[in-house]
Amino acid sequence: MTQRSRNFLLLAPAGAWFLVMLVIPLTVVLIFSFGERGAAGGYVPAFTLEQYANLPARWAAFKNTLILAPAGTLASLLIAYPLAYYLAVRADPRWKTALLVLVIVPFWTSILIRSYAWIFLLGGRGIPALLAAIGIEDVRLINTPFAVLIGIVYGYLPLMVFPIFVNLDRLDKRLLEASSDLGASPWRTFLQVTLPMSLPGIATGCLLVFILLMGEFLIPAILGGGKVFFVGNALVDLFLQSRNWAYGSAVAATLVILMLVSVTAYMRLIRRLGAQREDVALM
Amino acid sequence: MNEAAYAPPSGLQAAKPAAGPIAELRNVSKRFGEVLAADGLNLSIEAGEFLSFLGPSGCGKTTALRMLAGFEAPSSGDVLLDGEVVNDLEPYRRPVNMVFQHYALFPHLTVAQNIGYGLRQRRPRPPREEIERKVTNALEIVRLEGFGGRRIWELSGGQQQRVALARAIVNEPKLLLLDEPMAALDRKLRKEMQIELQNIQRRLGITFVLVTHDQEEALSMSDRICIMRDGRIVQTGSPRDLYDRPRNRYVAGFVGSSNFFDGVAAAVSDTETQVRVAGGIMLSGRALAPVTAGQAVTLSVRPEQVRLARTAADGDKAGWDVTVLSRIFLGEHTEYLVKHDGLGEFMVLTPRQAELSDGPFNAGERLVAFWEAESALVLTQD
Amino acid sequence: MTNDTDYISKRKFMEELYRYRRGSVTRRHFLGVTGLGTATAVLAAAVPGLRPRPAFAAGDIGDRVVLATWPNYHDPANFEAFTAATGAAVDVNVFGSNEEMLAKLQAGGSGWDVFVPTNYTITTYVGEGLIEPLDAARMANYDPAAFDARFAGPGNVDGTLYAVSKNWGTTGYAINISKNDNVTPTTWKEFWDMTMDSFSGRTMVHDYQLTTIGNALKYFGYSFNSVDPKELADAEKLLLDAKPHLFAINSDYQPSMRSGDAWMTMCWTGDGKQMNRDMPEIVYVLGKEGGELWSDFYAIPKGAPHLDAAYALIDFMLTPEVNAKEALFHGYPVADSRVNALLPAEVLNDPILYPAAELLDALEFGAAATLTDPNRAELLARFKSA
Repeated sequence: MTQRSRNFLLLAPAGAWFLVMLVIPLTVVLIFSFGERGAAGGYVPAFTLEQYANLPARWAAFKNTLILAPAGTLASLLIAYPLAYYLAVRADPRWKTALLVLVIVPFWTSILIRSYAWIFLLGGRGIPALLAAIGIEDVRLINTPFAVLIGIVYGYLPLMVFPIFVNLDRLDKRLLEASSDLGASPWRTFLQVTLPMSLPGIATGCLLVFILLMGEFLIPAILGGGKVFFVGNALVDLFLQSRNWAYGSAVAATLVILMLVSVTAYMRLIRRLGAQREDVALM
Repeated sequence: MNEAAYAPPSGLQAAKPAAGPIAELRNVSKRFGEVLAADGLNLSIEAGEFLSFLGPSGCGKTTALRMLAGFEAPSSGDVLLDGEVVNDLEPYRRPVNMVFQHYALFPHLTVAQNIGYGLRQRRPRPPREEIERKVTNALEIVRLEGFGGRRIWELSGGQQQRVALARAIVNEPKLLLLDEPMAALDRKLRKEMQIELQNIQRRLGITFVLVTHDQEEALSMSDRICIMRDGRIVQTGSPRDLYDRPRNRYVAGFVGSSNFFDGVAAAVSDTETQVRVAGGIMLSGRALAPVTAGQAVTLSVRPEQVRLARTAADGDKAGWDVTVLSRIFLGEHTEYLVKHDGLGEFMVLTPRQAELSDGPFNAGERLVAFWEAESALVLTQD
Repeated sequence: MTNDTDYISKRKFMEELYRYRRGSVTRRHFLGVTGLGTATAVLAAAVPGLRPRPAFAAGDIGDRVVLATWPNYHDPANFEAFTAATGAAVDVNVFGSNEEMLAKLQAGGSGWDVFVPTNYTITTYVGEGLIEPLDAARMANYDPAAFDARFAGPGNVDGTLYAVSKNWGTTGYAINISKNDNVTPTTWKEFWDMTMDSFSGRTMVHDYQLTTIGNALKYFGYSFNSVDPKELADAEKLLLDAKPHLFAINSDYQPSMRSGDAWMTMCWTGDGKQMNRDMPEIVYVLGKEGGELWSDFYAIPKGAPHLDAAYALIDFMLTPEVNAKEALFHGYPVADSRVNALLPAEVLNDPILYPAAELLDALEFGAAATLTDPNRAELLARFKSA
């Protein structure tokens, strides 16, 4: 077998998957986005820019998404980083695996069930009841943007923790000794060595969470009480309620383009931050 | 050297290097759980000297180094720098720098950024031009001019080694610690680096403390060597001292090579000690430390102290009848492995000059071996 | 509640289902313990039955029939009996909205034999050619004369029978009157005014344009089905004013009402009944101004793979004795007088299930045009994203 045909065989499954699951659906979405809504919903072939002209009607959903996705990513990062740092650097190696498993445990049940658990925790009989017991009355948590943020951080934490953990775990501890030896206090060592060295993990984690957040609809629907509305929710409504496939496709296509633009900008930024670092440049 | 550029803790700055030992270990022990990694170490390191810790892996030499660097605190005893106890002083507050075994260079920084790292940590932070000047100077010292903008992974092992050295010396430390710095280099490069390190040390006058398991490296570079075993210092001295006057069999074995004949001290006098070895043969030698009759001792004869001849020419001295087992040509020397019926096998190193008259000898040849009694050392076995 | 969460037996599932229907467990618990997928699998596997019905044994209708319906809308014992009688297992697919059902049928290849559309979607299905005309001759238990025409009427389109009546109900609101000095409001005007005042942060509305916009229109006395731009503009203003005061926009309101987080919600008959049964302080109100009346039907999609089995299943479910068991199980009113004759008096006299005539007369059926109106869809999107 030639090298070429071997390469072909190696790439064929992924290529087919890519074609069937990504290229074809995206093409369909693109074609639909230039069509029209049928009288009873669905799609009628046409070539019109009307759907795109209507995009401002979902401006609020885009705005909310473009605020939530970075904010949620940042919040996840701020909570995940210390945790990953503890697991990788501080935790007793004997317990490391067990602690890591604890981080994944929530992934064993569906996000739907887990979010329902949060409905109770954030609802009147949950945390607000505890707060009331210590004298902080009438705190409303459920169905607020804050509840959505909690749900997001909770749901996506493992996705953020893992790349950072892997990165920090592989970090050569001798580099930290070298930094200390050269006169850097622990905090400065963290800023000048640990943090820049874990940049690839941070970049990967942020990218994963950000991309997923751009399409998120479940957590806002469940923990936001339907009052916090994102592009994902707009899409659910357009496809499943008003069945305006053409308009829905235009919104979806715009979301994909926005995602591509922001991810590209993000990659540029990371590459510049990492200058020509080998480990980051490989990303 | 610009001493004022330092910002070490109080006391260390004012002390002049010449005033006394620059570093001291006073009865220092270090325990890791059940393991006693350092056991009652006493050592003083003089300013400007090149000192090596020599011993096999696990002998405690790296622990001693790490206590000097501040990565480990002693379990008991005191570590002093410039006369001040620094047992619990953090590494980043010590005017000490280290060249790590695998260099531990920062992969996310350029060569110049790596070298300037220590300077940038100083408070107040030196001006940029000063850092640049010092980095350039350090690059020159390690002969890497023009490499400042390179990335670490673009460098060869030898070049990385030089960067690690430059990163340490640019800080003008009171003490430069080197942890097996040449372990990862090939033999030829190691030789070159050894010479270069020595040159740099002489030029800068910085006190070097080297950890190595390579006796040749220690012997060729050090002013003094501190031989360690099982967490203890066995003997400290100049290479010549250790070679000529080993304290015991362990030191003699570690410094140069030697033929050992184990036995019991039979007759002891001021000048000569008789040792009864295997087969009841009596050998005489010179005891460096007091030996009592009946004590288990080892007689040590360096291979180069043994002469070989086809016939016993020197009538008054009895030689040993030996058979040549093998011959290895080493250029200036030839190494023979010979066997005596009672003493067993031992090594002989013959200079080329000597062979012009009487050699070379062939395997299987029967010869006579001689050595002067005063060149044979009677050593304790501890 | 239960320690048997990882495996749930058929019997256990049924027990949980009954408990849920009785309202002693919340829907959340029910979903958590069973899982919707489990429900389908267990029902499909519910093969053995005890009472063979010779009437249905004749002819081979195949070994399965696929039913697309709503959650908790059938007595599983009836499916078991059907399987025992015919040999065809009932494969149940559960849906959350008519729109989802329509989307699935429009996409094609649903594999369904029978589905349960709501009145206002039937003309759409007919228009799109997605629904099979029904042959009354193949349903021995279908007696058009027995059905209340008000509820069964939408099954006929232009004189052709496309769907037969299953159940009907209303859309009103449920309110926890213990939070309102035990005063029961009577109008949609009160619903919206209280939402923006004493019940601020405690009211839920459906995540559904038909009812949420329709009931906002009722505040002004407009038609539930209005698509008039001026009237919709009024409704939008009301909705936007009310939004900051809403607890949630969510059609799954039982858990929040039961936990006390929400005090008032737009509500369908069956949910109102269930909550009232367990918590008498939660009462069901039909606004005097009117609101929605709805009716569900059995229908067969075009291209149903097991057409014989589809007819057999519908016919079986229309059997008055079977249908009465269904009604007792899920608690929704039936339009078939033969079935009502079999139901106990306390059910027929329940004001939640069978409201007073003057309240009923004020109600409107949702219209197909209302549901598919793009302006109303956009209005809801603006409301939700505001």
